[in-house]
Amino acid sequence: MEHLIIEASKSTPAIHFDPEQHLLSIKGQSYPENSSKFYTPVFAWLKEYLALPYLKNIIIDIEMSYFNSSSSKILMNIFEMLDESAEDGKSVVINWLYQEDDDTSLECGEEFKEDISTNVIFNLVEIPATRFK
Amino acid sequence: MNIYQFHEQLQSEGIIFCFSGPVSQSILEGMGETLKQKMDLEETKLTTSQKIFSIFVEQMQNIINYSADRNTLGDKQSNFGLGILIVGKNSEHSYVLAGNKISKEDEELLKQHLEFIKDMGKDELKSLYKERRKSGNNHLGSKGAGLGFIEMARKATYPLDFQFIDIDSTHSFFVINVKI
Repeated sequence: MEHLIIEASKSTPAIHFDPEQHLLSIKGQSYPENSSKFYTPVFAWLKEYLALPYLKNIIIDIEMSYFNSSSSKILMNIFEMLDESAEDGKSVVINWLYQEDDDTSLECGEEFKEDISTNVIFNLVEIPATRFK
Repeated sequence: MNIYQFHEQLQSEGIIFCFSGPVSQSILEGMGETLKQKMDLEETKLTTSQKIFSIFVEQMQNIINYSADRNTLGDKQSNFGLGILIVGKNSEHSYVLAGNKISKEDEELLKQHLEFIKDMGKDELKSLYKERRKSGNNHLGSKGAGLGFIEMARKATYPLDFQFIDIDSTHSFFVINVKI
């Protein structure tokens, strides 16, 4: 299976999905003009990955400093997909990374966590602030 | 009034940005970056600047996607909507104000949606937002799932302030002022 690598732009996050090391990460800001279009390859990749017969453990790191309302819906759809895999018996861990001074991001993570079943391990992970002060 | 007086008037009213014309994604990104830098320089509280940025993006994207006044350059990549957007600050609050032309049919739908959410408390808005965000709950056939205005209402400190100014029998000018 291919890697999925999309570099970050001002309005789109960096996406690094590595099916060999099983490292999945989405990091940055998300407010593209057309969220559905931007995330189409992400959904296609995840669909193929989650269907791998030998896949037992799924871990994804998400670090979003900002996302608009349509990206919020997309993220929820991704989490719903992962939730289904967890229901099918796979171990699913979502790490929601937020910078220590970023209460908004923490709150967003909490709101996603509330809407996902407890089959998924949803960690809220505080990381040091790198924002310029 | 000459241009200098116009400039001075905008300054004296605390207007940070006043944009009128075709809005595209690249204009949104450029202005958004500048807005963030300006708020950083002024040491605006992080949660406040995040709220202002978020409302700014939702409003600019509404103009791009829904303004009835459109410019196309014959090139499908260029999606422009005409509108006006003002970011300012007075002694009581900051605000992001947007205006654009809409059809009477859109006005009906939008009015219903805004009337429905305008007096909701923060908890009600949160539940509505989360309900609409789940898959299969698309609203108004909108690209943004109808979440944008709920998002703005959640970030705002004051109730959403909006009006529809009659232009002619087919169109109105929609204005929304979100105060933080």
